Amino acid sequence: MDARTPVSAASAAHEDMVELDSESLIASRAYAARQLRSERISAAIRYALLVAVGFVMLYPLIWLIGASLKTNSEIFANPGFIPDEPTFQGYIDGWKTSTPYTFGHFFWNTFLIILPKTIGTAISATAVAYGFARFEFPGKKILFGTLIATLLLPNVVTRIPQYLLFRDIGWLDSFLPLWVPSALAGDAFFVFMLVQFLRAIPRDMEEAARVDGANSFQTLIFIIVPMLAPALISVCLFQFMWTMNDFLGPLIYISSVDKYPVSLALKLSIDTTEAFEWNRILAMSVLALAPALIVFFLAQKYFIEGISAGGVKG
Amino acid sequence: MGNGRFLGLGYLSPYILGLLAFTAVPFLASLYLSFTDYNLMSAPKWSGLENYIDLFTRDRTFRKSLWITLIYVFTTVPLKLAFALFIAYILNYRLACINVFRTAFYVPSILGGSIAIAVLWRYIFADTGLVNMALTGLGFDAVNWFGDPTNALFTITLLRMWQFGSAMVIFLAALQSIDKTLYEAAAIDGAGKVTTFIFITIPLITPVIFFNLIMQMVQAFQEFNGPYIITEGGPLKSTYLLSLYIYEEAFQNFNMGYASAIAWVLFLIIMTLTVVAFWSSKKWVYYAGDKRS
Amino acid sequence: MARLQLRNLEKTYGNAFKAVHGINLDVEEGEFMVLVGPSGCAKSTTLRMIAGLETVSGGEVRIGDEVVNALPPGKRGIAMVFQNYALYPHMKVRSNLSFGLRIQGLPKAEIAAATDEVARILEIEPLLDRLPKQLSGGQAQRVALGRALIKKPEVFLFDEPLSNLDAKLRASMRVRIIDLHRRLKQEGKPATVVYVTHDQTEAMTMGDRICVMKEGRIMQVADPKTLYNRPANLFVAGFIGSPEMNLMAGRVEGPSDPVFSLGGQSVRLGREVGSRLDLSSAANATVGVRPQHFELVGSEAESGLNGRVTHVEFMGHEVYLHIDLGDARVIAVVGTEAFEAMDLSGEQVRLRPNATSVHVFDTASGENVSLSKQAA
Repeated sequence: MDARTPVSAASAAHEDMVELDSESLIASRAYAARQLRSERISAAIRYALLVAVGFVMLYPLIWLIGASLKTNSEIFANPGFIPDEPTFQGYIDGWKTSTPYTFGHFFWNTFLIILPKTIGTAISATAVAYGFARFEFPGKKILFGTLIATLLLPNVVTRIPQYLLFRDIGWLDSFLPLWVPSALAGDAFFVFMLVQFLRAIPRDMEEAARVDGANSFQTLIFIIVPMLAPALISVCLFQFMWTMNDFLGPLIYISSVDKYPVSLALKLSIDTTEAFEWNRILAMSVLALAPALIVFFLAQKYFIEGISAGGVKG
Repeated sequence: MGNGRFLGLGYLSPYILGLLAFTAVPFLASLYLSFTDYNLMSAPKWSGLENYIDLFTRDRTFRKSLWITLIYVFTTVPLKLAFALFIAYILNYRLACINVFRTAFYVPSILGGSIAIAVLWRYIFADTGLVNMALTGLGFDAVNWFGDPTNALFTITLLRMWQFGSAMVIFLAALQSIDKTLYEAAAIDGAGKVTTFIFITIPLITPVIFFNLIMQMVQAFQEFNGPYIITEGGPLKSTYLLSLYIYEEAFQNFNMGYASAIAWVLFLIIMTLTVVAFWSSKKWVYYAGDKRS
Repeated sequence: MARLQLRNLEKTYGNAFKAVHGINLDVEEGEFMVLVGPSGCAKSTTLRMIAGLETVSGGEVRIGDEVVNALPPGKRGIAMVFQNYALYPHMKVRSNLSFGLRIQGLPKAEIAAATDEVARILEIEPLLDRLPKQLSGGQAQRVALGRALIKKPEVFLFDEPLSNLDAKLRASMRVRIIDLHRRLKQEGKPATVVYVTHDQTEAMTMGDRICVMKEGRIMQVADPKTLYNRPANLFVAGFIGSPEMNLMAGRVEGPSDPVFSLGGQSVRLGREVGSRLDLSSAANATVGVRPQHFELVGSEAESGLNGRVTHVEFMGHEVYLHIDLGDARVIAVVGTEAFEAMDLSGEQVRLRPNATSVHVFDTASGENVSLSKQAA
């Protein structure tokens, strides 16, 4: 490195046109500094804005957690989130509920819906996406068209006949209406997402597997599923989240309290709790949100990727 | 293994079964039911166009509900998308901790559908709730959020705007995929920030604007949890969106035929708007497609 | 059109990495200046500072008489052609061309006339209503050129514009750009050009003058002939010319009738070399000989370097001989006919550098010490 410095000095001298007056050098340095400063200021404004928006986004949640530990009289008197006299009374009372069951029972019910629904979705959506992305068969175009149509079809239009169907086959007040349609690849969004994902994967490995004598099912299990894993994780996480939050489905299909999932139980607690026992309801709201929040923070990468991929390619 | 031509159909069999049982047949059945009188007690009775005629001539609840639904959709969707795009645009500057902000902004979207959030909203917008405490603290007058018909609907709009995160993540991904040299070329062409945004950025992300628009619109037309929990349709039915009306007609009054007719009107509105959007997209959406060179 | 001057131009990044070390360069009005160097030599950074796409950390960029450091790119009177063309993908060719003029708010008729004029010059009239994705690489390149041309800028900037094209198209676009530059000059509208490339062939064939850069410093600025015949230092000697100049590090003794010793061998360089040598009596030196400038001499010749031919590359009209000289490996180019007349049975050859074309470099500093003033 050092050996080369004289070279550039020599060639600069060779140019013999260095006539820079120190004044303009100082001026241009000052300009550069000014520009840097104005960049910093506009960056600071952007940060301030983002922090403000972030605060508005998150404060309600923070307040919720704080309020769930407050006494009932404090909830509507103190806008801060730190309770004056922290109490778990809301959690203790809320957990008992006004029904014969504890809130734990309702969590268990939610779990009994989520488990088959998520597994069923993962399996059926993978198989169907594989069929769409890797095979030619009669009617493929039409069937793919129905997938897109289902994606855009508002649920509101099929809800009533679905209800009548489940009524006729005696599934009302059971968990079956809540997960069976999903287990038959009923959530077009997931199928579509996996199809897009599969289309972006080159077929070389599958062809190699074929050459090695694998049949299409073995190829699916040993080649496709491992490659699809990140997308499948996204699918499962979204399904978990949506099911956790689903309210209208249980509202329509579940009528006995012992089968209530968390969302219905929460609504029930609003309706049945004494009007001033707010902290119970807030405490149970915190618990209802907790699983989704925890899962999100453990696996946020998959959420962001899932939604970006689905959106940009859609 | 078997006939290759039908192998694909084999993998599709769960979908085909589900499509027939839970989508296609119910879809047609719903259309049929909308022309009947059916209260679960006796078999559906064909009544022709009566349900629809009733809806548009006699049913003032329906007219009010439809009007409110349209107001709700046409305020919520543009506000939410504009806000999402604005934040995505700011995040797209090469800022440090962009991921932290992105996560923070996305959290409400993850939780947004939950009943717990709707419950929270009730408390936040209560007369002496968090929002009014903040307003009075800042020297403004407290607002009667749930007592005033216009305000009540707006609390639901605010709830859905609060969940701008998923739309924003999609916008951000699209913004990040724009080739930076295009901005440089525009700068050399003399375009300022605003000009560049309008003539370069916006046209290049029209596909995701379109996608977000359709998705958010379809969702907004079916809004249920917000008005059901937060405002219970009131006051004075000012938040009585069509989905609430359908729910009550179908599952509380068991007027399945009439409810189906409302559902079909809602469906036709959504479909018309979707078709218009798709049709017009040829004029305003830029599709990158395959590059030949 | 105007001259472009860089004065002590510096670029320091936020992490204190100094990319450009105070360079000075004058590009005369109407001159075609090529910035060339290996990747990482900051030639693109320099160009982007001229364009205003990078901030200047120190020194000045002057276009005409004006210091433009503080001006945004659009106000500097420059136009730029990008490596990936950077055509606006959602606009038709016509709109791509006229975007800059429309932003300036020129009257519609004027814009249309200018667009037609540029389209005619570049023969892209049939493409005006296409989208960029419907263009071939060469067509896109011409549109990018047109987008620069239409603005009638003071200075044209090119950032490796041909590197995305295949070899054949690259050659023809090269000619087209030079033709265009010449034509503008003839029409009395000379275009000042700064053209960045990493390809020395492109630099040599296109530039009026070439600025060779390395690690943020200028190594030499000269016209192609001078650069080839009188490289200022080892770096330029090795960078310019294909196949590369052979550089043999050894020792040179005796200023008037210098002798070059390499390992156990030595060869007399000749009095002509001695006359232009600026070297103390004996020094560690690197001798540079272009492959074309070796003479194959018979074993009976009194002075020469003995070597073994390790490899022969047949190129058609000439042959490349890879020769192992013991302490150096060199390439010598011989005509095909001469090659066929050679007796290579023993694989042994004897080489002598062509006296008039030998360069001697100070091994320590890298400077060429065989450029006497008289020979200039």
